[in-house]
Amino acid sequence: MTPPLLETRGLCKSFGALEVAREINFRLEPGARHALIGPNGAGKTTLVNLLTGLHAPSRGAVLLGGEDVTSLPQAKRVKRGVARTFQINQLFRGLTVLENLCIAVAERLGAGGSMLRPAGRRADVIAEASRLIETLRLEEDAGRRVGELPYGRQRLVEIAIALGLAPRVLLLDEPAAGIPSAESHILLDAIAALPAHIAVLIIEHDMDLVFRFAQRITVMVSGAIFAEGSPAEIAGNREVRAVYLGSALDA
Amino acid sequence: MSAMLPAAQALARRHRLQWWEALPWVAALLAFYLFPNHLAFGTQLLITILFALSLDLVLGYAGIVTLGHAAFFGAGAYTVGMLAQHAGWNEPLTGLAAAALVAGAIGLASGFVLLRTHGLTLLMLTLCTMVLLEESANMGHRYTGGFDGMPGLLFKPLLGAFSFDPLYFRTQYLYVLVVLLLCFVLVRALVYSPFGQSLTGIRENLLRMHAVGAPVRVRLVVVYAASAAIAGVAGGLFTHATQYVNLATLGLERSAGVLIMLILGGYGRLYGAFVGASAYMVLEHFLAKAYPTAWQLGVGVLLVLVALFASNGILGIADSLRRRFAERAAARP
Repeated sequence: MTPPLLETRGLCKSFGALEVAREINFRLEPGARHALIGPNGAGKTTLVNLLTGLHAPSRGAVLLGGEDVTSLPQAKRVKRGVARTFQINQLFRGLTVLENLCIAVAERLGAGGSMLRPAGRRADVIAEASRLIETLRLEEDAGRRVGELPYGRQRLVEIAIALGLAPRVLLLDEPAAGIPSAESHILLDAIAALPAHIAVLIIEHDMDLVFRFAQRITVMVSGAIFAEGSPAEIAGNREVRAVYLGSALDA
Repeated sequence: MSAMLPAAQALARRHRLQWWEALPWVAALLAFYLFPNHLAFGTQLLITILFALSLDLVLGYAGIVTLGHAAFFGAGAYTVGMLAQHAGWNEPLTGLAAAALVAGAIGLASGFVLLRTHGLTLLMLTLCTMVLLEESANMGHRYTGGFDGMPGLLFKPLLGAFSFDPLYFRTQYLYVLVVLLLCFVLVRALVYSPFGQSLTGIRENLLRMHAVGAPVRVRLVVVYAASAAIAGVAGGLFTHATQYVNLATLGLERSAGVLIMLILGGYGRLYGAFVGASAYMVLEHFLAKAYPTAWQLGVGVLLVLVALFASNGILGIADSLRRRFAERAAARP
């Protein structure tokens, strides 16, 4: 059996007396389409922050491809193929859409530290950034500053940046939040078009999206994993319905 | 492959030289011939532009807020002065290289420690670094001349041919102008490189920069050291030009002054250093002549106006005017 691509063992995190992650044993298989659901404050974003290295765990380990990466800083995990989007857009607001993507692509191609050759001569970086813009249909906004765009368009830039890092593991924290329903198909198409070998973990409150997308679902409640299974198992789980899904599905 | 996006074409061309970029250098050469009696002032202005340019690299591009940049100017100035005074090392160009090395090394060491912090903490620590150096220069007067500094330094002729001219500053002016041009070419290349873009990324969003896998601290320390080395060159030029060095090269007044000039001109735009330093120093020069007791009032009023109405500095005003004209032209049927 191949090891899981991303795995946590007994992961715990406390902020003072507040336990936000409790004994989390989580596995993300290669090529997975995995959703993480649960009520607000359940610790979903915290888990993503622990996986990416934004937070250091109080106890436990994070393994990437079977290798312990618990002590690696964020940037090194990105280099090993872990990319994420943030729940609230984290973009270079004063720069154009194209420049935002160029920064990400340049880092991935190892060009970010090159000092004397103009960025404009890196045709490879610009071409790849332009391809991402086409993927997310941002052509009309390519030369506009990100801060001037409507929130939904910015959301697509956020996702384009993560894709520009050519990840093995893609962690999407509520990607559809803030995208107008008329544009959400762009996002769904982009996610559906991801290469099959990328493992995708998505945090989402939109149950339509979750059940359409996910092959596996993990439910978190109060910092711990409450249930895990296929969409059918989760939908049929009474306890899950009681704590979370009931209201979300009936709505 | 589809046609190149217009934004991509613009990005691929952005680093190319524009015709107006020749203006500052033409103006500086014209000034050399038109105002032969003001070259001492002109030399100081060029040195200050170089110092402001070094600050723009860290403040304007990387977003490192510092009140201690005079530490590096002073380190360069004292390096040149002490080498000439105590080691008889008075060849200017190698002295300048030594100034860059010493200031760059201090930048590297202090940046390594300081750049773990942000915001006000960083601001205070940069200030502390400078005050430590200033006090060392004050107390170590056997080496530094203490409060009086080191007057009457002598330097060999430049390239063995052009001797420094204490009266009219002709040699100094051209020497500083050439060094400024070389440093500018370097800084310009840096800010248009992928490295420069990544600094802008760090300034715009630190969290995202970590999340795209950039070694943020390494980049910050490198640019801080490079900027320190350029500030050190400016300081070394100061000692060469004036043939003395004293504590005023190291103080808060110099740090704050250059910060004000950069904000006045517009930071993060390369030419803000030229515009801000020129506007500030020319105004100061003439106001001080006309109103010897109250000239600071004039400078103060200008700064208040800029802070209130032009937070992007003088070049920011130029930008918004240009945009307004473009919009009006576009609106016309």
